[in-house]
Amino acid sequence: MNILKQRYSSNKFLSFFRDTLAVIKIEFRTMFKDRGVVIMLVLAPLAYPIIYCSLYQNETLIDVPVAAVDCSRSQQSRELLRHIDATQNVQITCKYGTLAEAKQAFVEKKVHGVVYIPADFSKKLSTGNQTTVSMYSDISSFMYYRIISQACSNSVQAMSNQIQLERLNSNGITGEAATISAIPIPYYGVPLYNEGAGFASFLMPAILIIIIQQTLFLGIGMIAGTSREENRFHVLVASAVHRGRTLRVIVGKSICYLLLYATWSFFILGVIPHSFNLPHIGISLDIVKFMLPFLLSVIFFSMTVSVFLPNRETGMMLFLFFSLILIFISGVSWPQSNINGFWKAFAWIFPSTCGVQGYIKINSMGADINHISFEYVSLWIQTALYFATTCWAYRWQIKKSSNNSLKEMELLRDL
Amino acid sequence: MVSRPIYFIGTVLIMAFSYVFFLTFFNEGQPNKMPIAVVDMDNSSLSRQFTRNLEATQQAKIVVQLNSHKEAREEMQRGNIYAFVEIQKNFSRKVISNHRPTLTFYVNDAYLIAGSLILKDLSYMSVATSAAMQRKVLRAKGLEENRIMGIIQPIVLDTHLIGNPWANYGTYLLNVILPGVLQLMVLMMTIFAVGVEFKERTSHEWLEMGNNSMFSSLTGKLLPYTVIFTAIGIIGDMLLFRYMHYPLNANIGWMFLATFMLVVASQSIGILLIGVTPVLRDGVTLGGFFGMLGVTFAGSTFPIEQMPYGTRIFSYLFPIHHFFNIYVNQALNGVSIRYSLIAFITLLSFTILPFFVYNRLKNAAINQNYPIK
Repeated sequence: MNILKQRYSSNKFLSFFRDTLAVIKIEFRTMFKDRGVVIMLVLAPLAYPIIYCSLYQNETLIDVPVAAVDCSRSQQSRELLRHIDATQNVQITCKYGTLAEAKQAFVEKKVHGVVYIPADFSKKLSTGNQTTVSMYSDISSFMYYRIISQACSNSVQAMSNQIQLERLNSNGITGEAATISAIPIPYYGVPLYNEGAGFASFLMPAILIIIIQQTLFLGIGMIAGTSREENRFHVLVASAVHRGRTLRVIVGKSICYLLLYATWSFFILGVIPHSFNLPHIGISLDIVKFMLPFLLSVIFFSMTVSVFLPNRETGMMLFLFFSLILIFISGVSWPQSNINGFWKAFAWIFPSTCGVQGYIKINSMGADINHISFEYVSLWIQTALYFATTCWAYRWQIKKSSNNSLKEMELLRDL
Repeated sequence: MVSRPIYFIGTVLIMAFSYVFFLTFFNEGQPNKMPIAVVDMDNSSLSRQFTRNLEATQQAKIVVQLNSHKEAREEMQRGNIYAFVEIQKNFSRKVISNHRPTLTFYVNDAYLIAGSLILKDLSYMSVATSAAMQRKVLRAKGLEENRIMGIIQPIVLDTHLIGNPWANYGTYLLNVILPGVLQLMVLMMTIFAVGVEFKERTSHEWLEMGNNSMFSSLTGKLLPYTVIFTAIGIIGDMLLFRYMHYPLNANIGWMFLATFMLVVASQSIGILLIGVTPVLRDGVTLGGFFGMLGVTFAGSTFPIEQMPYGTRIFSYLFPIHHFFNIYVNQALNGVSIRYSLIAFITLLSFTILPFFVYNRLKNAAINQNYPIK
């Protein structure tokens, strides 16, 4: 009796293994036979990171053209302008006599900012008064504003400090006392994890994770939509494939996607950051550990949603725009602490939110897996949750398909 | 058009969702009260005073007091704080004995926007603190008030933002992203509406409805979309400029016109793409690829000028790039309309594109010689 039971169970295990293997084989074949799927699951995840990285390869703005209106024409005003011109980010490309001329140059997009030094600049400085320098900045892009205002305020600050010391000296405060009086508490701003304040270093890690999720999601949606169209009963899984065993289909398919995307993840998160000089201070093993639940939750999430996609194109049509929304709700550009409760809860539905946060924390900020336990556990919870919903959705589809074929059989018999 | 849910979702629902999402997401304008920490190793009345001053900053909020640099760094790596201020030991003793204690602000620039805004706020705060201390010293010396100001801050920098006086973060993004979504959806729906006739092999009937003229068949099919998407786009303009009061320094009519031309130009590209490959699935893939790149190529997130040289030429291929130029010229800078003339003409010239694939489309509709999948 015991022996019989054992043999039965080992047989069951063997048949599970064999069926799963068959599903993997079929899935790989359908994937690579279909040009659209190949584009989505092979070409896109390899091409997109390269395209975006090359577009954003200049981490910061260099020598943004700015006009100067120097009404003071003094040695001090020229010194200030030299200071501004010497910064890496801003270059004074032209000088005008009046503000109106400079604004005209701005309108014609010759310059992105204007520095205006009033006529009484040096007079006020020599008489010990306060003087004002004006700066006008293009704000068509946040970057222009940040770069120009930074360059101007640093230069003004440096010159101010120098004048301050001179004035203290002339008021009888000299030497060390003057320095202490001028800046009693000096401060240092230390930027961490993105020392150059680079745009690509900041945004690209998030984009890479979103590319992984979205191509995988759209690819799985495309495969599901296609098999639905080709299937006589408009269901997801043909009965010939599953033979009534839901779990084998799900396990087989997900292994297939996981194998493919494990390879792409190595390329996207391993090779790309190195070759484009993005942050990569993370522990590789932790990234691998973290990517496993991320990929699994994306796969099961996609498989669940794919059940509801009636056609091959539906996923692309309706969910591509969502990539933009995913970037914002992942809390990289607009800080996560300032996302309101509703959207924060909404964001948690998608694996990319925890995926982006966790990856940036490990890869850009050098956190280890213990620091990101929230994201790590969340992704495992999502994996379990979406695995359950996938089972439920697939069982529903498979039942529908068997019912349909049963009905057809009965119909034939009645004839 | 009403036969399948995809038409309604692809036109009205997605655009409505995008408007609601982006308008409620950035309603704050600028991120305020972002969490930071203080590592106070001095723990004196002076350092506590300084910490209280930090509480007054607008964009940072102290959420936790920590005991060591390591603890603070780990808190940052967990993502619970975006910055921390380190007050060293003997801070107050050094201030009293005139020894210039230093303060260090560590900010997390992996979250560039949070990091740089907090650093700006903290720097401003400590400059103000220094100035206050300096003023006390100078007053004690018996200097006049206006001379004191001349010493504390000899040069004032007066910052003007042309067109967007509040530095509202939403303004930078929504004027690009919402037209970007519009361009993407117009493209996708155009490709789908035409391509589905090839896929379902109904192109004969479609052509017959237009009296066997590809021109009238196309117009008849796509005109409803032109109307719907233009209406949606104009509602979007109204939301941004009237309801949210985003900067608008020109007649709103120009933005309406630009929106209409953005829709038509995107439709033209859609026809071109489905004409090049009259297979629905490839058309949709091409359209998606083009549409997603559009947001980057508009030139707002990262200026096109600073991208590699070749990409500048590429950016002209995207209607949204020209739309964005019109927006900057008219709505932001409020300059004469003649500066936007080139952008308008370029948008108009996109309508030539469908004629390149006119015969190809017609043959495909008659012969149905392309695979359906």
